[in-house]
Amino acid sequence: MTATATRPQDAAPPGARAKRAPKRERQGAAWVFLSPWVIGATVLTLLPMAVSLYLSFTDYDMFDAPQWVGLRNYTQMFTEDPRYWRSVTTTLTYVVIAVPVQLVLALAVAIALKSVKRGKGFYRSAFYAPSLLGASMSIALVWRAIFNDGGTVDNLLSGVGIDIGGWINKPGWAILSVALLTIWQFGAPMVIFLAGLQQIPAELYEAAAVDGASWWRQFRSITIPMLSPVLFFNLVLQMIQAFQVFTPAFAVSAGKGGPADSTLVYTLYLYDRGFTASHMGYASAMAWALLLAIGVVTAILFRTSRAWVFYANDNNEGAR
Amino acid sequence: MSCALALVLALGGTLTGCGGGEGGGSGGKVTLRFTWWGNPDRAARTEQAVKLFEKRHPDVDISTSFAGFDTYKAKLATQAAGGDAPDVMQLDYRQINQYATSGILLDLGKHPELRTTDIDKGLLATGVVDDKQYALPVARGAETMPYDAALWRKAGVPEPTINWTWDDWTAAMRKLKAAKKVTGGRVGSTDPGQSEDIFEIWLRGRGKTLYTDGGKLGFTADDLTRYWEFCTKLRKEGLVSSAEQTTQMDGSVENTPFGRLKSVSDFNWDAPSSGYEPIVGKGLKLAPLPAGDDGKPALYYKPSMFFGASAKTPHPKQAAQFIDFLLNDPAAGAILGATRGIPANDSIRDKVLPKLEGFDQVVSAYQKQFEGKLNDPPVAPPKGDASLQSTFSRDYDQVSYERLSPREAAENYITEAKAELRQ
Repeated sequence: MTATATRPQDAAPPGARAKRAPKRERQGAAWVFLSPWVIGATVLTLLPMAVSLYLSFTDYDMFDAPQWVGLRNYTQMFTEDPRYWRSVTTTLTYVVIAVPVQLVLALAVAIALKSVKRGKGFYRSAFYAPSLLGASMSIALVWRAIFNDGGTVDNLLSGVGIDIGGWINKPGWAILSVALLTIWQFGAPMVIFLAGLQQIPAELYEAAAVDGASWWRQFRSITIPMLSPVLFFNLVLQMIQAFQVFTPAFAVSAGKGGPADSTLVYTLYLYDRGFTASHMGYASAMAWALLLAIGVVTAILFRTSRAWVFYANDNNEGAR
Repeated sequence: MSCALALVLALGGTLTGCGGGEGGGSGGKVTLRFTWWGNPDRAARTEQAVKLFEKRHPDVDISTSFAGFDTYKAKLATQAAGGDAPDVMQLDYRQINQYATSGILLDLGKHPELRTTDIDKGLLATGVVDDKQYALPVARGAETMPYDAALWRKAGVPEPTINWTWDDWTAAMRKLKAAKKVTGGRVGSTDPGQSEDIFEIWLRGRGKTLYTDGGKLGFTADDLTRYWEFCTKLRKEGLVSSAEQTTQMDGSVENTPFGRLKSVSDFNWDAPSSGYEPIVGKGLKLAPLPAGDDGKPALYYKPSMFFGASAKTPHPKQAAQFIDFLLNDPAAGAILGATRGIPANDSIRDKVLPKLEGFDQVVSAYQKQFEGKLNDPPVAPPKGDASLQSTFSRDYDQVSYERLSPREAAENYITEAKAELRQ
């Protein structure tokens, strides 16, 4: 993406330069225009990150000054804290359920919408709506009520003879109800898929149809390869978000990560350590471990992308 | 030139957003922030008292906010650490030590506006740290067993007495289970295994304490194992709430098994038990918790909460006046009643409280029956104890969902507790 963004600047006609203000002044103006962002990023992002990196090597209870403890937070986390590993397992379970299901659903709806002739705008908005609503606490609370015992889902399932009880109070089921809340918000990837689908040249399908290719064959040999960059983009984005899931787990478990730690996702445990137990040093160490883990997983995804992501415009460049 | 223009364009938008809003004196008016935790009943009464204060002090504006205890605790700690503690705040016994020694609280002893002559001497001392009066006790509370006395009677179960034991209690639970038709299949009680407070009473009945005078753990993994094995037996027999019910508890009365009408009794502090009344109805009564095996009540009076002021408040005088009003003013006393417990102010307790009706009377009568019969309260919980209450119920969650045995969970708890207390 950055490569394309810088191109127009390089390509500016050399003659234009003479008429403009000297380079230094132009740079100054650029910096000034950038200043809100630069100041914001420094004060609100980079500085806190640096502080949190420092705190991750300390014992800090928010009241007394931080005490340097070296790597103790990290060793405790990896070797002595069974809850830490429980939260890692819970988060991985969540990511493995939520991300693929959400993407498949988003793609299916996008393909269905592509062929809709009438009321396209309406359907698109209707399917996107959950993404706007879903991030709010109120929806998460409604979710809690729906999946509680005596809630809508419990009553519906009991009506057809399936007696599970309240999902949110069953260790195996609670994480599913959290994942469902995320899956339901498939609007953002759907819109991106839709845009990607419209980019695929119609001639490809026409040619395939002439050759007698079935719908499935067209889907596998045209749609998927042509869409793979978009698929990859959605996968990376949703995965990064899924690792940081907090609100649905917090709301559905009333902030506790229960029952029996079954919805104790990583960031919820981080919050619990930092704000409930006042171990800010430990919480900071957890945050950095998460950052590194997400970095590693993203790097792995980028590596594998060479094998399955197909860029139509640079087939002769080969793998970079 | 172009730089200056850009700067104006770029920063103009951000800067305009920053004016106003800083607490303080628009038109000479002083604004105090006051925060507390509690239920809607306490909120309604507190708002009423705040209005009266504002009427008497037209120059002071009180902006209030409240939350449930767990949320409140986390929020206050964050605010305090950020140097933004509210001017006047409600504090828990477990917070006093930490907040006072970290320089967050104002030494209220230095403010003559705040009179302490009528406050119960024993309770007053619980707000003193390093010889300074950092916090003032508001009221005293006691643990209780709220229960539906009407159902209890119909089921033919004898009324609880001041010296009934855990064996008597278990027998009552069995009778309630047998009287399924009367109770509609509700269990006898909330599972006591999730509550550190109940465990403390159970321990005291056996002559032990949560913490020793030196601030160390006063019990062993064996004690806790025995307690959780007792609870597990009750749960498996169907006498107390199931894991699915117990896990829904979040500190609010509405989400307890009793509040959800899934059980016939519960455990709670006396003042907040008023919240059960709208749900359970007039049959609601408060019973003492089971006594020790020697028949002596294991309960104790605890300072239920404190008021403190921020060391950084720009208006210490008004903050002291406001706390004085909440604690000592008879009109405020009449509005607040027993919503925070039985008032620590002797004259309000003797003169104002008897005139009140409804649940205030129930709480008042409940505490009166113990006058002169209780053992000394335990020492103040040591620093580091604050998060152990939730650790306790979380570890028991593992027991009630049968992921860990009582022994394994008890050993986990002891390990975590020692780490928190830095022992």
